[in-house]
Amino acid sequence: MKNSKDTRETYWNLLLETLPFEKLRELQVKKFRRILEWAYEKSKFHRKLYQEAGIEPGDVNTYEDITKVPKVEKAMMRDIQRKDPFPYGDALCVPLEEVTEFRQTSGTTGKPVYQPDTWQDWEWWSESWAYLLYAQGYRKTDRVFIPFGYNIFVAFWAGHYAAEKIGCEVVPGGVLDTEARILKIQELQATAMMATPTYVLGMADTARKKLGIDPARDLMVRKITCAGEPGASIPATKRRMEEAWGAKVYDHVGATEIGAWGFECTAQPGGLHVNEALFLTQLEDIETGEMIEEPGRKGKIVITALDRIAQPCIRFDSKDVAEWAEDPCPCGRTFRIIKGGVVGRSDDITKVKGVLVAPSAIEEVVRSVRGLSDEFEIVVSKKGDLDDMTLKVEILPADEGNREVILTQLKDQLRLKTNLGYNIEVHPYNSLPRYEVKARRFKDLRKHR
Amino acid sequence: MRTHASSDHRVEGEEAMNRRDMKKVVTRIKTIKKAAQELKDHTEVPAVERNAARILASVKMLEINISDLLMVK
Repeated sequence: MKNSKDTRETYWNLLLETLPFEKLRELQVKKFRRILEWAYEKSKFHRKLYQEAGIEPGDVNTYEDITKVPKVEKAMMRDIQRKDPFPYGDALCVPLEEVTEFRQTSGTTGKPVYQPDTWQDWEWWSESWAYLLYAQGYRKTDRVFIPFGYNIFVAFWAGHYAAEKIGCEVVPGGVLDTEARILKIQELQATAMMATPTYVLGMADTARKKLGIDPARDLMVRKITCAGEPGASIPATKRRMEEAWGAKVYDHVGATEIGAWGFECTAQPGGLHVNEALFLTQLEDIETGEMIEEPGRKGKIVITALDRIAQPCIRFDSKDVAEWAEDPCPCGRTFRIIKGGVVGRSDDITKVKGVLVAPSAIEEVVRSVRGLSDEFEIVVSKKGDLDDMTLKVEILPADEGNREVILTQLKDQLRLKTNLGYNIEVHPYNSLPRYEVKARRFKDLRKHR
Repeated sequence: MRTHASSDHRVEGEEAMNRRDMKKVVTRIKTIKKAAQELKDHTEVPAVERNAARILASVKMLEINISDLLMVK
């Protein structure tokens, strides 16, 4: 097999990653049909769903036909689970004894959804992560530290196995507390790390305050892969992480029910490639349901994992919102880019005082203002009939003298970028909640009336 | 839809493995798959059966990466 040194150094699989888009589309349609046939034959849940919609696999021959296939929502999975074959219910497509992995979703949007995987699916998970880690520069020479609890959430499990697959040396950082992890990273001269943005910033904070370690100067981590929450695609948050660690920070997007479907490459094109070889990623207009193919329009991501077999993910409504980028990436991949990554969730983007607000837009402003700490909180409530939005921030101790300038800048930028006014509360430094792994900074109290 | 292909990389991809080369690689993948399937199906030794099952899972990854490309004209 010929493979030039340059392309071997750039792509996990040159053949798929640079396949012309029209051929990628042809491959996606054929693989979609294959997984649809699989689910139709093996899963009572899927067969019923498609029969009720009057769809059979033989009806799907073109990309346009795919849009007729009904979508699956998380709530539907919740309804069918906790029944036989226990605990997965009717969406299971393999005999129970072929399931080797159990994971579940985090439960932030409701009762957790169980996710079964066969050993083949587990290999597929590490394969999908191998695409992204290779695109982010992970190589055999890397020593990768994973400060992760290795628990019931899929999180970085596949990142661990993908790093091994690539040939990296992997240091599992479970059980250790944050300080012990930082010391181990220093001791072993780890070159790469994977964590949520909240934890990346938290570790840097702990390193400086409790250990007198400056990660950018004293540690050798030079690339960080983020997952679990949007931060690494929010420019100001990415900048804070990169400055704190002296490292390149790369984003990735995935989900327990879907897989690792999107990733930033070393070119950092201002967005995430969607892995078009393993997933079919569609953008759907939130109001009309029409498919969006052109750049510049935001839509909801509907996604299919083309090779996942135990509990197939077919036309899954992820509730994530994105738009296609206009320009191809200098890396040469033909995998399309979602501009700015996932810009929010359709169930997070909310109207306040009649204006649509995405929490990520507020995060971008807060994290771009020098003098504010990394932590903040947004609380939306009702005062009488009117919406009220309070933003809680902390000023860094060294910047207290510039309080008025900082707050003026914050208010101006918020008005400019979100078109809204806020009640701003300044809280003592270190008093706002610190999250270990994933943050919950946006609280809409109106939903609980 | 603007093309996202960099023509240099696309040509390199085609040079890296043309369709005839790909078919040869796919034939080898099929051979491994057949052998692993036979090991798995015709043994009473769990160590053989389970390790062959793992080989088959890895073979599926080879199919995803290479063999499936033959679905494309």
